[in-house]
Amino acid sequence: MLDAFSRAVVSADASTSTLSSDKIAELKGFITEGNKRLDAVNAVASNASCCVSDAITGMICENQGLIQAGGNCYPNRRMAACLRDGEIILRYVTYALLAGDASVLEDRCLNGLKETYTALGVPATSTVRAVQIMKAVCVAHITNTNTEERAGAKYRKNDTPQGDCSALAAECAGYFDRVISALS
Amino acid sequence: MKSVLTTTVASADLAGRFPSASDLESVQGSLQRAAARMEAAEKLASNYDAVAQEAVNAIYSKFPSGSGRAIDAGTQKEKCKRDIVHYLRLINYCLVVGGTGPIDEWGISGAREVYKALGIDTSTYVTGLTFLRNRGCADRDLSAQALLEYNGYLDYLINSMS
Repeated sequence: MLDAFSRAVVSADASTSTLSSDKIAELKGFITEGNKRLDAVNAVASNASCCVSDAITGMICENQGLIQAGGNCYPNRRMAACLRDGEIILRYVTYALLAGDASVLEDRCLNGLKETYTALGVPATSTVRAVQIMKAVCVAHITNTNTEERAGAKYRKNDTPQGDCSALAAECAGYFDRVISALS
Repeated sequence: MKSVLTTTVASADLAGRFPSASDLESVQGSLQRAAARMEAAEKLASNYDAVAQEAVNAIYSKFPSGSGRAIDAGTQKEKCKRDIVHYLRLINYCLVVGGTGPIDEWGISGAREVYKALGIDTSTYVTGLTFLRNRGCADRDLSAQALLEYNGYLDYLINSMS
């Protein structure tokens, strides 16, 4: 597993050189933006349960066949496995966001996931839809743009110092996109 | 590769939990120390060649004929400097990462076996690295905290060889 710093080191090592000043400047940026990153990770981790249950529910409400006989969320056992998988995916995305690098997500979660789902008959399009909903939820929590009318009774406000978190939201969305492209 | 971020993530993953408050705190700790580490990394990157040369000089003043296989003195000295440069580059990486991962994986692992097979006495490296360890001077070369970070990795390397 790598993080933003060791990723830079690995690429410097490939050319047996010390880190260039551009790279150092970039990493210094990572450090100065560090507090925002921790807030972003906190925003995702603190709303994990709501994010996962909303995504799986949303996926099912848009495709009711999933909970009819023969659907892949049909008995409780399958529904529980689905919720668990949603949580695992979100957890690895959170790790990647904390480390600032996708390797933990790729190595420990996405590697072989598509083949596993194909073998088990888990539908890829539905899984992708659930991941898309989680992506929207996480981006809203990181940028603090979640609204009461969308979240309803589950609405939770994040009180953080005001600033621009769009880069972190984009990074997090990028990790979800990796999940989507690995599945489809 | 071992660093504060990867260690935190690995232990959270082992327990299957989301990053918690204590995980975020430990990352915060690494970010606080990062400025000093980065300063040392930049300083080292800008003049590692001169630093390595001083270490080689220190080695050859203590062991005038070096150690290892009987090859001509010029080549031996050159390879000795190359090795010190390699170690300094790995220390540069460790300072950037904020952990011993690069030096563990690319420097220490297997070193004992290699030096034994090639008949190189590790005390030669220890001599050079100890010289560098005691050579740095706070404020003149880099700030006190940055020097502490730099010396910490030199000590780590010296301990692995002795």
